[in-house]
Amino acid sequence: MACFERASPALKQILLQLYHSDKPSAVEHHLHEFGSLQYHIQSYVSEARHVYLSISTPILSTGSSTLHGFPRYTIETVKGICHEVVQIVEPAKTGYQLTLKLDFSKIPRKKDAVKVITEISSVQAVILSSQLRELLTNVNAEEISQGAYKPIKLVYHPNEPFYVVKQPAKLTAVFPIRFKEDSDIVIAKAFFQELVDVGNSGVCARAPPCYWSPIPPPELRGESMKDLSTNAGFVSFEISARHIEGKKLDKTVWSLLNFNALVKYHVKCTKGFVQRRMRSRLESLVEALQQTGIEEDHNTAKVKGHRGMKKLIKVTKGAMKMKRWNLTKKIRRIRSRLRIHGFKRFQRCWLKLPSFSTVMSYQKIEKS
Amino acid sequence: MVLSLILSFQVVICRNEAEKCLIETSINSLRISLKVKQADELENILTKKFLRFLSMRAEAFQVLRRKPVQVCPFFGYDISFLITNYHCEEMQKHKLIDFIVQFMEDIDKEISELKLSMNTRGRLVATEFLKQFI
Repeated sequence: MACFERASPALKQILLQLYHSDKPSAVEHHLHEFGSLQYHIQSYVSEARHVYLSISTPILSTGSSTLHGFPRYTIETVKGICHEVVQIVEPAKTGYQLTLKLDFSKIPRKKDAVKVITEISSVQAVILSSQLRELLTNVNAEEISQGAYKPIKLVYHPNEPFYVVKQPAKLTAVFPIRFKEDSDIVIAKAFFQELVDVGNSGVCARAPPCYWSPIPPPELRGESMKDLSTNAGFVSFEISARHIEGKKLDKTVWSLLNFNALVKYHVKCTKGFVQRRMRSRLESLVEALQQTGIEEDHNTAKVKGHRGMKKLIKVTKGAMKMKRWNLTKKIRRIRSRLRIHGFKRFQRCWLKLPSFSTVMSYQKIEKS
Repeated sequence: MVLSLILSFQVVICRNEAEKCLIETSINSLRISLKVKQADELENILTKKFLRFLSMRAEAFQVLRRKPVQVCPFFGYDISFLITNYHCEEMQKHKLIDFIVQFMEDIDKEISELKLSMNTRGRLVATEFLKQFI
Protein backbone atom coordinates (compact mmCIF):
# COMPACT_ATOMS: atom_id res chain seq x y z
CA MET A 1 0.00 0.00 0.00
CA ALA A 2 2.93 2.34 -0.24
CA CYS A 3 1.87 2.95 -3.83
CA PHE A 4 -0.02 6.22 -3.61
CA GLU A 5 -1.61 5.80 -6.99
CA ARG A 6 -4.81 3.84 -6.87
CA ALA A 7 -3.96 1.83 -9.98
CA SER A 8 -1.03 -0.57 -9.74
CA PRO A 9 1.45 0.57 -12.45
CA ALA A 10 2.84 -2.93 -13.10
CA LEU A 11 -0.60 -4.52 -13.38
CA LYS A 12 -1.79 -1.76 -15.71
CA GLN A 13 1.21 -2.21 -17.99
CA ILE A 14 0.72 -5.98 -18.25
CA LEU A 15 -3.02 -5.68 -18.93
CA LEU A 16 -2.41 -3.05 -21.61
CA GLN A 17 0.18 -5.29 -23.28
CA LEU A 18 -2.27 -8.20 -23.29
CA TYR A 19 -5.03 -5.96 -24.63
CA HIS A 20 -2.86 -4.66 -27.49
CA SER A 21 -1.42 -8.04 -28.50
CA ASP A 22 -2.90 -9.32 -31.77
CA LYS A 23 -2.19 -13.04 -31.39
CA PRO A 24 -3.60 -15.05 -28.49
CA SER A 25 -0.79 -16.42 -26.32
CA ALA A 26 -0.38 -18.32 -23.08
CA VAL A 27 0.92 -15.85 -20.51
CA GLU A 28 1.39 -16.09 -16.76
CA HIS A 29 2.63 -13.33 -14.45
CA HIS A 30 3.11 -13.23 -10.68
CA LEU A 31 3.35 -9.76 -9.17
CA HIS A 32 4.32 -9.00 -5.60
CA GLU A 33 3.84 -5.48 -4.31
CA PHE A 34 4.63 -3.74 -1.07
CA GLY A 35 2.14 -4.51 1.66
CA SER A 36 1.90 -8.30 1.12
CA LEU A 37 -0.10 -7.76 -2.04
CA GLN A 38 0.00 -10.40 -4.78
CA TYR A 39 -1.42 -10.53 -8.28
CA HIS A 40 -1.62 -13.50 -10.63
CA ILE A 41 -2.38 -12.80 -14.29
CA GLN A 42 -3.01 -15.66 -16.69
CA SER A 43 -4.23 -15.97 -20.24
CA TYR A 44 -4.73 -19.10 -22.42
CA VAL A 45 -4.40 -19.65 -26.14
CA SER A 46 -7.78 -21.38 -26.23
CA GLU A 47 -9.50 -18.38 -24.66
CA ALA A 48 -8.59 -15.42 -26.79
CA ARG A 49 -9.39 -11.98 -25.28
CA HIS A 50 -9.97 -13.46 -21.82
CA VAL A 51 -7.59 -12.84 -18.95
CA TYR A 52 -7.83 -14.23 -15.41
CA LEU A 53 -6.70 -11.89 -12.63
CA SER A 54 -6.32 -13.24 -9.07
CA ILE A 55 -5.67 -11.02 -6.06
CA SER A 56 -4.39 -11.68 -2.56
CA THR A 57 -4.37 -8.68 -0.23
CA PRO A 58 -4.29 -8.22 3.54
CA ILE A 59 -7.72 -7.33 4.78
CA LEU A 60 -8.26 -4.23 6.85
CA SER A 61 -9.22 -5.76 10.18
CA THR A 62 -10.65 -4.27 13.30
CA GLY A 63 -8.82 -4.82 16.54
CA SER A 64 -11.34 -7.23 17.96
CA SER A 65 -11.99 -9.43 14.98
CA THR A 66 -10.16 -10.46 11.88
CA LEU A 67 -12.30 -10.80 8.80
CA HIS A 68 -11.85 -13.98 6.82
CA GLY A 69 -12.42 -13.46 3.15
CA PHE A 70 -14.00 -10.41 1.60
CA PRO A 71 -17.29 -9.23 3.07
CA ARG A 72 -20.38 -8.96 0.90
CA TYR A 73 -20.26 -5.18 0.45
CA THR A 74 -16.68 -5.48 -0.87
CA ILE A 75 -17.74 -8.08 -3.44
CA GLU A 76 -20.62 -5.82 -4.48
CA THR A 77 -18.22 -2.88 -4.88
CA VAL A 78 -15.83 -4.96 -7.01
CA LYS A 79 -18.72 -6.06 -9.22
CA GLY A 80 -19.37 -2.40 -9.85
CA ILE A 81 -15.97 -1.99 -11.59
CA CYS A 82 -16.87 -2.19 -15.27
CA HIS A 83 -19.49 -4.88 -14.81
CA GLU A 84 -19.53 -5.69 -18.53
CA VAL A 85 -15.82 -6.47 -18.63
CA VAL A 86 -15.22 -7.90 -15.15
CA GLN A 87 -16.77 -11.12 -13.87
CA ILE A 88 -16.04 -12.72 -10.52
CA VAL A 89 -14.97 -16.37 -10.74
CA GLU A 90 -15.92 -18.67 -7.91
CA PRO A 91 -14.18 -20.34 -6.30
CA ALA A 92 -11.10 -18.14 -6.36
CA LYS A 93 -7.73 -19.55 -7.41
CA THR A 94 -5.91 -21.44 -4.66
CA GLY A 95 -3.87 -19.08 -2.52
CA TYR A 96 -5.81 -16.00 -3.60
CA GLN A 97 -8.92 -14.33 -2.19
CA LEU A 98 -10.50 -13.16 -5.42
CA THR A 99 -10.31 -14.20 -9.07
CA LEU A 100 -11.69 -12.01 -11.85
CA LYS A 101 -12.31 -12.93 -15.47
CA LEU A 102 -11.63 -9.99 -17.78
CA ASP A 103 -13.29 -9.95 -21.21
CA PHE A 104 -11.26 -7.60 -23.41
CA SER A 105 -13.66 -7.96 -26.31
CA LYS A 106 -16.27 -6.03 -24.31
CA ILE A 107 -14.03 -2.96 -23.91
CA PRO A 108 -15.69 -0.36 -26.22
CA ARG A 109 -12.99 1.67 -27.98
CA LYS A 110 -9.21 1.97 -27.95
CA LYS A 111 -9.40 5.40 -26.34
CA ASP A 112 -11.57 4.12 -23.52
CA ALA A 113 -9.46 0.98 -23.13
CA VAL A 114 -6.81 2.79 -21.11
CA LYS A 115 -9.45 4.24 -18.80
CA VAL A 116 -11.13 0.86 -18.28
CA ILE A 117 -7.84 -0.96 -17.70
CA THR A 118 -6.79 1.74 -15.21
CA GLU A 119 -10.01 1.16 -13.31
CA ILE A 120 -9.40 -2.60 -13.29
CA SER A 121 -5.80 -2.06 -12.10
CA SER A 122 -7.10 -0.14 -9.08
CA VAL A 123 -9.08 -3.14 -7.80
CA GLN A 124 -6.93 -3.40 -4.67
CA ALA A 125 -7.59 0.21 -3.78
CA VAL A 126 -11.30 -0.41 -4.31
CA ILE A 127 -11.22 -3.44 -1.98
CA LEU A 128 -9.43 -1.58 0.83
CA SER A 129 -11.43 1.60 0.44
CA SER A 130 -14.73 -0.28 0.52
CA GLN A 131 -13.84 -1.85 3.84
CA LEU A 132 -12.93 1.47 5.49
CA ARG A 133 -15.88 3.20 3.84
CA GLU A 134 -18.25 0.63 5.23
CA LEU A 135 -16.75 1.03 8.68
CA LEU A 136 -17.11 4.78 8.52
CA THR A 137 -20.68 4.86 7.31
CA ASN A 138 -22.16 2.04 9.40
CA VAL A 139 -21.72 2.19 13.11
CA ASN A 140 -22.81 -0.91 15.00
CA ALA A 141 -24.76 -0.67 18.21
CA GLU A 142 -21.96 -2.48 20.07
CA GLU A 143 -19.66 0.40 19.42
CA ILE A 144 -21.79 2.86 21.32
CA SER A 145 -21.28 2.76 25.02
CA GLN A 146 -22.69 5.26 27.49
CA GLY A 147 -23.67 7.66 24.76
CA ALA A 148 -20.17 7.85 23.34
CA TYR A 149 -18.76 6.02 20.38
CA LYS A 150 -15.95 3.64 21.12
CA PRO A 151 -12.81 4.09 19.05
CA ILE A 152 -12.54 1.56 16.23
CA LYS A 153 -9.06 0.16 15.83
CA LEU A 154 -8.08 -0.60 12.25
CA VAL A 155 -5.06 -2.76 11.53
CA TYR A 156 -3.58 -2.96 8.09
CA HIS A 157 0.07 -3.46 8.87
CA PRO A 158 0.71 -5.32 12.16
CA ASN A 159 2.69 -2.45 13.72
CA GLU A 160 0.67 0.43 12.27
CA PRO A 161 -2.83 0.46 13.72
CA PHE A 162 -4.90 3.61 13.58
CA TYR A 163 -8.14 4.59 15.26
CA VAL A 164 -11.38 6.02 14.00
CA VAL A 165 -13.65 7.67 16.54
CA LYS A 166 -17.11 8.43 15.21
CA GLN A 167 -18.95 11.28 16.88
CA PRO A 168 -22.28 12.91 16.02
CA ALA A 169 -20.90 15.95 14.23
CA LYS A 170 -17.52 14.68 13.12
CA LEU A 171 -15.22 11.75 12.72
CA THR A 172 -11.72 11.72 14.22
CA ALA A 173 -8.94 9.59 12.76
CA VAL A 174 -6.00 9.18 15.15
CA PHE A 175 -2.64 7.87 13.98
CA PRO A 176 -0.08 6.74 16.57
CA ILE A 177 3.32 7.23 14.95
CA ARG A 178 6.43 5.17 15.67
CA PHE A 179 9.92 5.21 14.21
CA LYS A 180 13.00 3.14 14.87
CA GLU A 181 15.64 5.86 14.54
CA ASP A 182 15.91 9.08 16.53
CA SER A 183 16.68 11.17 13.46
CA ASP A 184 13.48 9.91 11.79
CA ILE A 185 11.47 10.99 14.83
CA VAL A 186 12.87 14.53 14.67
CA ILE A 187 12.23 14.84 10.92
CA ALA A 188 8.69 13.49 11.34
CA LYS A 189 7.95 15.92 14.19
CA ALA A 190 9.11 18.83 12.03
CA PHE A 191 6.77 17.59 9.28
CA PHE A 192 3.82 17.30 11.67
CA GLN A 193 4.44 20.87 12.85
CA GLU A 194 4.23 22.05 9.25
CA LEU A 195 1.09 19.93 8.72
CA VAL A 196 -0.63 21.56 11.68
CA ASP A 197 0.46 25.05 10.55
CA VAL A 198 -0.76 24.54 6.98
CA GLY A 199 -4.05 23.05 8.24
CA ASN A 200 -4.67 26.13 10.38
CA SER A 201 -3.71 28.57 7.65
CA GLY A 202 -6.08 30.07 5.07
CA VAL A 203 -4.62 28.01 2.21
CA CYS A 204 -6.30 24.78 3.35
CA ALA A 205 -9.15 26.25 5.35
CA ARG A 206 -11.60 23.66 4.01
CA ALA A 207 -9.29 20.75 4.80
CA PRO A 208 -9.90 18.74 8.00
CA PRO A 209 -8.28 20.33 11.09
CA CYS A 210 -5.11 18.51 12.00
CA TYR A 211 -3.54 18.20 15.47
CA TRP A 212 -0.41 16.68 16.87
CA SER A 213 0.23 15.77 20.48
CA PRO A 214 3.00 13.83 22.20
CA ILE A 215 0.47 12.10 24.48
CA PRO A 216 -2.62 10.04 23.52
CA PRO A 217 -5.71 12.22 22.88
CA PRO A 218 -8.68 11.92 25.27
CA GLU A 219 -10.68 9.90 22.72
CA LEU A 220 -8.30 6.97 23.14
CA ARG A 221 -8.60 6.65 26.88
CA GLY A 222 -9.03 3.03 27.83
CA GLU A 223 -7.11 1.57 24.93
CA SER A 224 -4.23 -0.82 25.54
CA MET A 225 -0.88 0.65 26.57
CA LYS A 226 0.94 -1.37 23.95
CA ASP A 227 -0.92 0.39 21.15
CA LEU A 228 -0.62 3.81 22.74
CA SER A 229 3.12 3.74 23.40
CA THR A 230 4.72 5.76 20.63
CA ASN A 231 7.85 7.84 20.16
CA ALA A 232 6.63 10.35 17.58
CA GLY A 233 3.29 11.31 19.08
CA PHE A 234 -0.28 11.15 17.74
CA VAL A 235 -1.67 12.86 14.66
CA SER A 236 -5.43 13.48 14.53
CA PHE A 237 -7.69 14.55 11.68
CA GLU A 238 -11.20 15.81 12.33
CA ILE A 239 -13.28 14.83 9.35
CA SER A 240 -16.67 16.40 8.95
CA ALA A 241 -19.62 15.47 6.75
CA ARG A 242 -18.45 17.65 3.83
CA HIS A 243 -15.24 15.60 3.52
CA ILE A 244 -17.06 12.28 3.04
CA GLU A 245 -19.99 13.25 0.86
CA GLY A 246 -20.22 12.09 -2.70
CA LYS A 247 -16.98 11.58 -4.60
CA LYS A 248 -14.89 13.07 -1.79
CA LEU A 249 -15.46 9.94 0.30
CA ASP A 250 -13.11 7.88 -1.88
CA LYS A 251 -10.36 10.51 -1.77
CA THR A 252 -10.70 10.95 2.00
CA VAL A 253 -10.62 7.21 2.61
CA TRP A 254 -7.58 6.73 0.34
CA SER A 255 -5.71 9.60 1.99
CA LEU A 256 -6.36 8.19 5.47
CA LEU A 257 -5.27 4.70 4.45
CA ASN A 258 -2.03 6.08 2.98
CA PHE A 259 -1.12 8.54 5.73
CA ASN A 260 1.42 6.32 7.50
CA ALA A 261 3.06 5.38 4.23
CA LEU A 262 3.19 9.06 3.23
CA VAL A 263 4.96 10.05 6.45
CA LYS A 264 7.54 7.28 6.10
CA TYR A 265 8.14 8.12 2.45
CA HIS A 266 8.58 11.81 3.25
CA VAL A 267 11.14 11.02 5.98
CA LYS A 268 13.06 8.76 3.61
CA CYS A 269 13.09 11.36 0.83
CA THR A 270 14.20 14.06 3.27
CA LYS A 271 17.15 11.95 4.39
CA GLY A 272 18.12 11.40 0.76
CA PHE A 273 17.91 15.15 0.12
CA VAL A 274 20.13 15.91 3.13
CA GLN A 275 22.68 13.36 1.90
CA ARG A 276 22.81 14.95 -1.57
CA ARG A 277 23.30 18.43 -0.10
CA MET A 278 26.11 17.18 2.13
CA ARG A 279 27.91 15.59 -0.82
CA SER A 280 27.80 18.77 -2.89
CA ARG A 281 29.00 20.84 0.09
CA LEU A 282 31.85 18.37 0.66
CA GLU A 283 33.04 18.87 -2.93
CA SER A 284 33.04 22.64 -2.60
CA LEU A 285 34.96 22.51 0.70
CA VAL A 286 37.61 20.15 -0.71
CA GLU A 287 38.05 22.46 -3.69
CA ALA A 288 38.61 25.39 -1.35
CA LEU A 289 41.26 23.42 0.55
CA GLN A 290 43.12 22.45 -2.62
CA GLN A 291 43.63 26.12 -3.39
CA THR A 292 45.78 26.50 -0.26
CA GLY A 293 48.68 24.57 -1.86
CA ILE A 294 52.03 26.36 -2.34
CA GLU A 295 52.41 27.66 -5.92
CA GLU A 296 55.18 29.66 -7.69
CA ASP A 297 54.50 33.34 -7.61
CA HIS A 298 54.62 34.57 -11.22
CA ASN A 299 55.93 38.07 -10.31
CA THR A 300 59.13 36.79 -8.75
CA ALA A 301 59.87 34.00 -11.29
CA LYS A 302 61.85 36.33 -13.57
CA VAL A 303 64.36 37.46 -10.95
CA LYS A 304 65.51 34.22 -9.33
CA GLY A 305 68.21 35.67 -7.07
CA HIS A 306 70.36 33.71 -4.66
CA ARG A 307 67.86 30.98 -3.93
CA GLY A 308 67.14 30.49 -7.61
CA MET A 309 70.84 30.17 -8.32
CA LYS A 310 71.20 27.62 -5.53
CA LYS A 311 68.45 25.52 -7.11
CA LEU A 312 70.04 25.77 -10.51
CA ILE A 313 73.44 24.72 -9.21
CA LYS A 314 71.89 21.82 -7.31
CA VAL A 315 70.23 20.60 -10.48
CA THR A 316 73.36 21.07 -12.58
CA LYS A 317 75.60 19.33 -10.05
CA GLY A 318 73.17 16.43 -9.78
CA ALA A 319 72.96 16.01 -13.52
CA MET A 320 76.73 16.09 -13.84
CA LYS A 321 77.17 13.44 -11.18
CA MET A 322 74.67 11.22 -12.96
CA LYS A 323 76.45 11.64 -16.27
CA ARG A 324 79.77 10.84 -14.68
CA TRP A 325 78.41 7.71 -13.05
CA ASN A 326 76.86 6.50 -16.30
CA LEU A 327 80.11 7.02 -18.14
CA THR A 328 82.09 5.21 -15.43
CA LYS A 329 79.74 2.26 -15.66
CA LYS A 330 80.14 2.17 -19.42
CA ILE A 331 83.90 2.25 -19.15
CA ARG A 332 83.92 -0.56 -16.60
CA ARG A 333 81.86 -2.65 -18.95
CA ILE A 334 84.28 -1.95 -21.74
CA ARG A 335 87.23 -2.76 -19.49
CA SER A 336 85.77 -6.08 -18.43
CA ARG A 337 85.42 -7.21 -22.07
CA LEU A 338 88.89 -6.37 -23.34
CA ARG A 339 92.16 -5.19 -21.93
CA ILE A 340 94.21 -2.64 -23.78
CA HIS A 341 97.75 -2.03 -22.74
CA GLY A 342 98.17 1.61 -21.60
CA PHE A 343 94.49 2.28 -21.50
CA LYS A 344 94.55 2.98 -17.76
CA ARG A 345 96.82 5.93 -18.21
CA PHE A 346 94.75 7.16 -21.11
CA GLN A 347 91.65 6.88 -18.99
CA ARG A 348 93.18 8.77 -16.08
CA CYS A 349 94.25 11.66 -18.31
CA TRP A 350 91.46 12.02 -20.79
CA LEU A 351 88.30 10.29 -19.53
CA LYS A 352 88.18 11.78 -16.04
CA LEU A 353 85.58 14.56 -15.80
CA PRO A 354 86.67 17.86 -14.28
CA SER A 355 85.04 18.78 -10.97
CA PHE A 356 83.41 22.18 -10.77
CA SER A 357 84.03 24.39 -7.85
CA THR A 358 80.86 25.51 -6.05
CA VAL A 359 79.64 29.04 -6.30
CA MET A 360 78.73 28.99 -2.62
CA SER A 361 82.27 28.64 -1.38
CA TYR A 362 85.27 30.52 -2.66
CA GLN A 363 88.88 30.91 -1.82
CA LYS A 364 89.96 34.33 -0.89
CA ILE A 365 93.09 35.30 -2.72
CA GLU A 366 95.37 36.96 -0.29
CA LYS A 367 97.12 40.06 -1.39
CA SER A 368 100.74 39.42 -1.55
CA MET B 1 56.61 21.85 34.60
CA VAL B 2 58.05 24.86 32.80
CA LEU B 3 58.81 22.57 29.88
CA SER B 4 55.20 21.36 29.76
CA LEU B 5 53.98 24.98 29.79
CA ILE B 6 56.25 25.80 26.88
CA LEU B 7 55.36 22.70 24.93
CA SER B 8 51.54 22.82 25.26
CA PHE B 9 49.30 25.82 25.32
CA GLN B 10 45.49 25.91 25.26
CA VAL B 11 43.08 28.70 24.60
CA VAL B 12 39.26 28.51 24.54
CA ILE B 13 37.34 31.16 22.65
CA CYS B 14 33.61 31.26 23.50
CA ARG B 15 30.98 33.24 21.68
CA ASN B 16 28.40 31.90 24.14
CA GLU B 17 27.69 28.70 26.08
CA ALA B 18 26.82 26.80 22.93
CA GLU B 19 29.61 27.99 20.59
CA LYS B 20 33.24 27.40 21.49
CA CYS B 21 36.60 27.04 19.85
CA LEU B 22 39.49 25.22 21.54
CA ILE B 23 43.01 25.76 20.22
CA GLU B 24 45.75 23.48 21.56
CA THR B 25 49.33 23.97 20.48
CA SER B 26 52.37 21.76 20.65
CA ILE B 27 55.90 21.87 19.21
CA ASN B 28 55.09 20.80 15.68
CA SER B 29 51.31 20.83 15.47
CA LEU B 30 48.13 22.62 16.32
CA ARG B 31 44.70 21.23 17.13
CA ILE B 32 41.56 23.32 16.60
CA SER B 33 38.25 22.00 17.92
CA LEU B 34 34.88 23.59 17.26
CA LYS B 35 31.56 23.36 19.05
CA VAL B 36 28.77 24.38 16.65
CA LYS B 37 25.59 26.14 17.71
CA GLN B 38 22.54 23.82 17.87
CA ALA B 39 19.33 25.65 18.71
CA ASP B 40 16.87 22.76 18.58
CA GLU B 41 16.56 19.01 17.97
CA LEU B 42 16.47 19.39 14.20
CA GLU B 43 19.68 21.46 14.11
CA ASN B 44 21.19 18.95 16.50
CA ILE B 45 20.65 15.97 14.20
CA LEU B 46 21.59 17.95 11.09
CA THR B 47 24.86 19.07 12.68
CA LYS B 48 25.67 15.56 13.87
CA LYS B 49 24.92 14.03 10.48
CA PHE B 50 26.83 16.65 8.51
CA LEU B 51 29.95 16.73 10.66
CA ARG B 52 30.04 12.96 10.89
CA PHE B 53 29.77 12.85 7.10
CA LEU B 54 32.77 15.16 6.79
CA SER B 55 34.80 13.38 9.48
CA MET B 56 34.37 10.00 7.78
CA ARG B 57 35.92 11.57 4.67
CA ALA B 58 38.76 13.24 6.60
CA GLU B 59 41.41 11.99 4.16
CA ALA B 60 39.98 14.33 1.52
CA PHE B 61 40.61 17.28 3.86
CA GLN B 62 44.05 16.23 5.16
CA VAL B 63 43.84 18.64 8.12
CA LEU B 64 40.60 17.18 9.49
CA ARG B 65 40.51 14.64 12.32
CA ARG B 66 38.27 11.57 12.05
CA LYS B 67 37.11 11.95 15.64
CA PRO B 68 36.45 15.24 17.37
CA VAL B 69 38.03 15.97 20.72
CA GLN B 70 36.12 14.70 23.75
CA VAL B 71 36.91 16.68 26.87
CA CYS B 72 34.94 14.38 29.14
CA PRO B 73 32.22 11.71 28.73
CA PHE B 74 29.54 14.40 29.03
CA PHE B 75 31.05 17.14 26.92
CA GLY B 76 32.92 17.18 23.66
CA TYR B 77 33.46 19.20 20.55
CA ASP B 78 31.74 18.64 17.21
CA ILE B 79 34.73 18.73 14.87
CA SER B 80 38.53 18.95 15.17
CA PHE B 81 41.38 19.95 12.88
CA LEU B 82 44.96 18.81 13.30
CA ILE B 83 47.51 20.98 11.52
CA THR B 84 51.08 19.73 11.55
CA ASN B 85 54.35 21.22 10.34
CA TYR B 86 54.08 19.12 7.18
CA HIS B 87 50.80 20.78 6.33
CA CYS B 88 52.40 24.18 6.84
CA GLU B 89 55.17 23.25 4.41
CA GLU B 90 52.79 21.97 1.75
CA MET B 91 50.17 24.68 2.11
CA GLN B 92 50.26 28.42 2.48
CA LYS B 93 49.62 29.36 6.11
CA HIS B 94 47.49 32.38 5.50
CA LYS B 95 45.30 30.43 3.07
CA LEU B 96 45.00 27.60 5.59
CA ILE B 97 43.74 30.03 8.21
CA ASP B 98 41.28 31.47 5.69
CA PHE B 99 40.08 27.96 4.92
CA ILE B 100 39.36 27.17 8.56
CA VAL B 101 37.51 30.45 9.10
CA GLN B 102 35.55 29.89 5.88
CA PHE B 103 34.81 26.32 7.00
CA MET B 104 33.31 27.57 10.26
CA GLU B 105 31.10 30.06 8.43
CA ASP B 106 30.06 27.46 5.85
CA ILE B 107 29.02 24.96 8.52
CA ASP B 108 26.66 27.43 10.16
CA LYS B 109 25.30 28.55 6.81
CA GLU B 110 24.81 24.98 5.58
CA ILE B 111 22.97 23.86 8.73
CA SER B 112 20.63 26.86 8.51
CA GLU B 113 19.96 26.25 4.82
CA LEU B 114 19.32 22.55 5.39
CA LYS B 115 16.83 23.31 8.15
CA LEU B 116 15.04 25.85 6.00
CA SER B 117 14.92 23.47 3.02
CA MET B 118 13.54 20.66 5.16
CA ASN B 119 10.78 22.87 6.55
CA THR B 120 9.92 24.12 3.06
CA ARG B 121 9.70 20.57 1.72
CA GLY B 122 7.54 19.53 4.68
CA ARG B 123 5.19 22.45 4.06
CA LEU B 124 4.82 21.58 0.38
CA VAL B 125 4.08 17.93 1.13
CA ALA B 126 1.58 18.88 3.85
CA THR B 127 -0.21 21.29 1.49
CA GLU B 128 -0.51 18.68 -1.24
CA PHE B 129 -1.76 16.09 1.24
CA LEU B 130 -4.44 18.32 2.71
CA LYS B 131 -5.61 19.40 -0.75
CA GLN B 132 -6.77 15.81 -1.28
CA PHE B 133 -9.56 16.44 1.20
CA ILE B 134 -10.80 19.61 -0.44
